[in-house]
Amino acid sequence: MSIQTPAPAPITATGTQPRNHDGQAIAITVFSTIKLWGRVFLPVLFFVTRRIPKLTGTLRQLSFIHFARWTVIGKLPYNGPPQKKGRFRYPHMYFESNFNGGWEEYIDAFSHILTDGMTAFWGSSYGFPKPLPTAPFKRYIQDNETEADHYYCAYPEATSTMIQRSLELDKKLVALKRDARRMDPDAFAAAYRRFLTDAQNAL
Amino acid sequence: MASVQIDLGDIQGDILRAYGNDYDNTTYAFVKIECPPEQARAWFHGVVDHVTTAETWPPGEKPLTTLNVAVTAPGLRALGVSEDVVGSFSREFRAGMSSRSELLGDVGPSDPNSWEPGLGTGDAHVLLTINAKQAADHQRALGKMKEAMDAVGGLRIVYQEDTELLPGAREHFGYSDGFAQPAIEGASDDKARGGGVPLKDGKWRALAAGEFILGYPDEDTRVDPKKRLPNAPAAPLGRSGTYMVWRKLYQDIALWRRVMRDAAKLYEGGDEHLLSAKVVGRWTNGAPLVKYPDEEPRGYDPKTAEDVNDFRYDGDVDGMRCPLGAHIRRSNPRDALAAVAGPKGVIGFDGHLSFRHRMIRRGMPYGRVLPEGVTEDDGVDRGLVFVSFQGSISRQFEGVQVQWLNAGNIFGLGHDKDFLLGDPHGTGKMTIQGKPPFFLAPQEVFVRTRGGEYLFVPGMTALAALADGTAG
Repeated sequence: MSIQTPAPAPITATGTQPRNHDGQAIAITVFSTIKLWGRVFLPVLFFVTRRIPKLTGTLRQLSFIHFARWTVIGKLPYNGPPQKKGRFRYPHMYFESNFNGGWEEYIDAFSHILTDGMTAFWGSSYGFPKPLPTAPFKRYIQDNETEADHYYCAYPEATSTMIQRSLELDKKLVALKRDARRMDPDAFAAAYRRFLTDAQNAL
Repeated sequence: MASVQIDLGDIQGDILRAYGNDYDNTTYAFVKIECPPEQARAWFHGVVDHVTTAETWPPGEKPLTTLNVAVTAPGLRALGVSEDVVGSFSREFRAGMSSRSELLGDVGPSDPNSWEPGLGTGDAHVLLTINAKQAADHQRALGKMKEAMDAVGGLRIVYQEDTELLPGAREHFGYSDGFAQPAIEGASDDKARGGGVPLKDGKWRALAAGEFILGYPDEDTRVDPKKRLPNAPAAPLGRSGTYMVWRKLYQDIALWRRVMRDAAKLYEGGDEHLLSAKVVGRWTNGAPLVKYPDEEPRGYDPKTAEDVNDFRYDGDVDGMRCPLGAHIRRSNPRDALAAVAGPKGVIGFDGHLSFRHRMIRRGMPYGRVLPEGVTEDDGVDRGLVFVSFQGSISRQFEGVQVQWLNAGNIFGLGHDKDFLLGDPHGTGKMTIQGKPPFFLAPQEVFVRTRGGEYLFVPGMTALAALADGTAG
């Protein structure tokens, strides 16, 4: 029996290259070359997923993934000489995403949970090995991944889940402060307990 | 997947199935090889002849003592294994546990610079694990071990830990421990409920053997049309072996009791017992909080109770029964990861985010029990020798340690770390979900890493090859 290509072992605590993370957030940037049929298929796929948000509901539920974005690029913006003008011979898929946690866990989520979606988005790329099994998929992503030159996070201490929950908490806290002015001590005690119960997952 | 035939005679014992609580005494002896490889192999040959395999014993014929062997990366070199072959082992194994300290949270008082001498320095080459039913058998086995080393010479024990089962098979915090083990295909299929992978519709299935024993199909093989096997060291070392994590974890029991006592004064009518259970996720007798949220069931025996491990978190997404950050929920989240309660019920991912991070645990407590009620430290060294077996240290042990115990984000717990094991980082706390919730603080350093090693437990054929110098 043959042996799988080894899955990459963590390079840093986050499992990715040092310049790919800032604070709690990790960036991933992957380029792949698209087969000709992808030029026709992918715009249709992008159109459909934008029109039917339900299709990407699972991706949204995985709160450790901030966002995932697939773009087809046919040429690079012209920045003047010595760059040559013109289009790529083949279009390329430009994938970018930000997430919290480990690189391995991130790719595992794509492999095991978003299996069909991954096949739809990457199936037309050359060399794509299918999302499962995970070892060749991880190898593919790692081989096509580009380390960021610069990556910046506005809130390095926080993850996107923490920021979202802090925003929810802020609304509740503002409301409590507003209402508290009209409360006697007993009413405030009861309101405070309600607030703690209601906001406990943001505290 | 077709049922897998596991070659028990080629696998060392106490991995797939525990030897059980009949063995009261366990010694872990780390040997340094200071002689040439040929001389070391002569000694190793003698050791290998006495190694206990995974073959089942006929009823009533458990041996009085058992012996098992593991090696570190420097140990492989000292036995004369070539750099090419050592290079076929996983990166984290070759790097060693002490080099991964920041990743693992072994910082501050757990920093490798203050570990016990002989651990984490590259001096520990071969680990001999001796189990014995009784103290007399234990002493005899230790005597034999030392005799064999002295006869060859150039071998030195750089660290030895003698451990003894505590009364009632508990660990020092006072909890029954060790029954949440992974169910393995071909070895413990009958433990699939609770021990395997939670599937939709309430079903479970056992994990592929290759998650724990190399040379066998793992969970990736299951979904691979080409049926490729997991990455493993070069043959014959890769067959029937497993990676082992060994950690000596000191537990500050007096401090734990004081923090629980003081915090409980502000909690639910001073119920210290409930508060401690909330931190752990189980009552002291092992009954899981998600099943028994209000009080400890009387007469509960974790060895026979069917629901000790057969549970999920889908009925407790908000953590009202078992807190979201409870120790057992963090270390084995089952179906809990990223699950949310929606208007149409719970939307979760079954075991999809957790099933590749399971490990077999075979720990032993060390040190005398701190008598009940004592809240001042008596200076005795006590704690847990943590032992785990897995196919990949980085994916399984380190994944759990780094993402689940030392981080809170995936559970929606912000910066909170595991209250029992995590580094308190100044502002550590634990939220005990409730109406209203309780915020358990301050977090203290209850557990300190006193040393550890990443090891490899070769199969029997591999051990023979190491002893003969034919491992490459």
